[in-house]
Amino acid sequence: MDKDTILKVEDLHVDINMLEGKLTPVRGVNFEIKRGETLGLVGESGCGKSLTCKAILAINDKKCKASGNIIFNSEETGEVNLLDLNPRGEEIRNIRGKHISMIFQEPMVAFSPMYTIGNQINECTRLHITKDKKKSKEITLEVMRKVGIANVEKRYNQYPHEFSGGMLQRALIAMALVCNPQMLIADEPTTALDVTIQAQILELMKELQKDFNMAILFITHDLGTVAKMCDRVAVMYLGKVVETGTAEAIFADPQHPYTRGLMGSVHKIGQKKQDRLFSIEGTVPLAMNLPKQCGFYERCDARIEGLCDRMEPELVQTEDGHQVACFACNNEKCRKQREEAEKLLAAEKA
Amino acid sequence: MNKDTILEVKNVSKRFTSKGVTVKAVTDVSFNVGKGETIGIVGESGCGKTTLGRCIVRAHEASEGEVWYRTESGEELDFLKVDKKKMKEIRKEIQMIFQDPYSSLDPRMTVLDIIKEPLQANYPKMPKAEMDALAKQMAEKVGLNPAYLMRYPHAFSGGQRQRIGIARALVVKPQLIVCDEAVSALDVSIQAQVINLLRDLQKEMNLTYLFISHDLSVVEHISDKVGVMYLGRLVEFAPTEDMFKKPMHPYTEALLSAVPVADPTIKRERIPLMGEIPNPANPPSGCYFHERCRYCTQKCVDEAPELKTMPDGRLCACHRAEELSLGGFDYEVQGTEA
Repeated sequence: MDKDTILKVEDLHVDINMLEGKLTPVRGVNFEIKRGETLGLVGESGCGKSLTCKAILAINDKKCKASGNIIFNSEETGEVNLLDLNPRGEEIRNIRGKHISMIFQEPMVAFSPMYTIGNQINECTRLHITKDKKKSKEITLEVMRKVGIANVEKRYNQYPHEFSGGMLQRALIAMALVCNPQMLIADEPTTALDVTIQAQILELMKELQKDFNMAILFITHDLGTVAKMCDRVAVMYLGKVVETGTAEAIFADPQHPYTRGLMGSVHKIGQKKQDRLFSIEGTVPLAMNLPKQCGFYERCDARIEGLCDRMEPELVQTEDGHQVACFACNNEKCRKQREEAEKLLAAEKA
Repeated sequence: MNKDTILEVKNVSKRFTSKGVTVKAVTDVSFNVGKGETIGIVGESGCGKTTLGRCIVRAHEASEGEVWYRTESGEELDFLKVDKKKMKEIRKEIQMIFQDPYSSLDPRMTVLDIIKEPLQANYPKMPKAEMDALAKQMAEKVGLNPAYLMRYPHAFSGGQRQRIGIARALVVKPQLIVCDEAVSALDVSIQAQVINLLRDLQKEMNLTYLFISHDLSVVEHISDKVGVMYLGRLVEFAPTEDMFKKPMHPYTEALLSAVPVADPTIKRERIPLMGEIPNPANPPSGCYFHERCRYCTQKCVDEAPELKTMPDGRLCACHRAEELSLGGFDYEVQGTEA
């Protein structure tokens, strides 16, 4: 594995066995994150982005079975396949919160209402850094100061209900950063916050990223925050990554019909007023007993009958660092994949 | 009241008292709504935009003020004062669409019953067959398959549920609809579908919308005029494009600067807002915004500004509105791109 790559996810599947049958919300996700980089994982609800990031830390529900490879690479731990580790074992617990930590969507729910904020941040410090009570409190206060919480001595002894939403999200970030992690997973960290607070939190995360040289996996459905935060973007649909590339390339020239639809359905302020927004018809299908076809087939406006409903396109490299999974895209590599698929289908027929 | 005006909100205030503490959720809000217009109300959480919407449909009783409404038959009345019987008649002309399509529909009623319920309440004498026909017609109009109407809400996705909420609001042929964060809980691609639907229905049925939202891009897309609220007060009210191009109130300027734009090539400078929203139970003196305002003067600390009409007809509550030149969104540059 490349030395600069901190995390590589290969062919990740998550299955859930239910009474009605097997649900596969994540169906072969591939991506990698370099040190100090921000990767945005974008997609609508139900596309499997949260399950993917929870699979990295092995904190998915027991009935979720993950398979594939998630390779984490750091100086201290070397290369480890996180999926091989026992989800309740010593090794993953050493990584969780120390090397990779996570910020959750709703700060109001993420904290326990029964303990003080200081106490809860301290838990992480005491577990990973020092057992010394005095020292650990010092470290906690220091990190609380760093995320911009004023009056930390008083705040340390307060309960979550005494914090506003924005402050609570800062406290959650403090908890995630207290062990200087090399990687941070942020699952919709600002979705529950107001725009002005959101802007503050995003700026704070960017600053801290520089200080810690931390990689961030930023999960969101808001394209505005993606444009502001991310170096690279991976677009997910129905449990698969359908397009990845640099943020500039994805926003300037989206290739996959789904990415194009997603971009079109967001109104940009100042844009010429059309009467109607572009909208993708239909809804995301349920990831159960999916036929062998492109997941986006039914909602796609560029679909090729007889091909897209019989074969599923793979991610192919179109340019340096840009990957698309689509038969209908107009570039050399995608056309090549299409020709091969058509040949295969013709051979099957014969 | 002007002839084209359908709703005139005059000095509406709403106070809540709990355990001896009085919170002014809405203070002295006034604006006019023209027939067929869409008015956006924006602001951060806790600024009183939902309370205002609820006062307008009279789900809350306003503590003070007047809400003049022109009924379909042309009558003008202050419906904060009308009696119960009259109110019931007006109710069907004013409907509301709620935020969360998961909690606003009764899980034990079929979709047909949900859509039919407003008809049963407002037209108790209507024959059942006619109600069913009207409900089915409405369901089709909002893009629901009439074959699915005997199902229960849990069988529908978020976007479809919001369509049910819309059908339910429209089935009694209202004039005015208060949409309280009607698309906030939906995914972007579904959001676009619902926004398009709302606009189509507006044209078809000549509806007036009061669109309450915290999402400024959505508000900019759908509204003709926008009102910005801060700590229970209306601080600015202006035609959409004017406001987004050139806001007059410093709070509007800061709010606009915080909106993330879905384009990584555009780097905008954010105007930082100091501190947090003050506690509405104990608001600051003078202008409510003065502690966080970078243009604050002594006058702002001492004296609360009134909502004044500016030379160009906009409303703004700031002592320095006319002397300040504030920055908003650049329209021309992005306009040519699109």
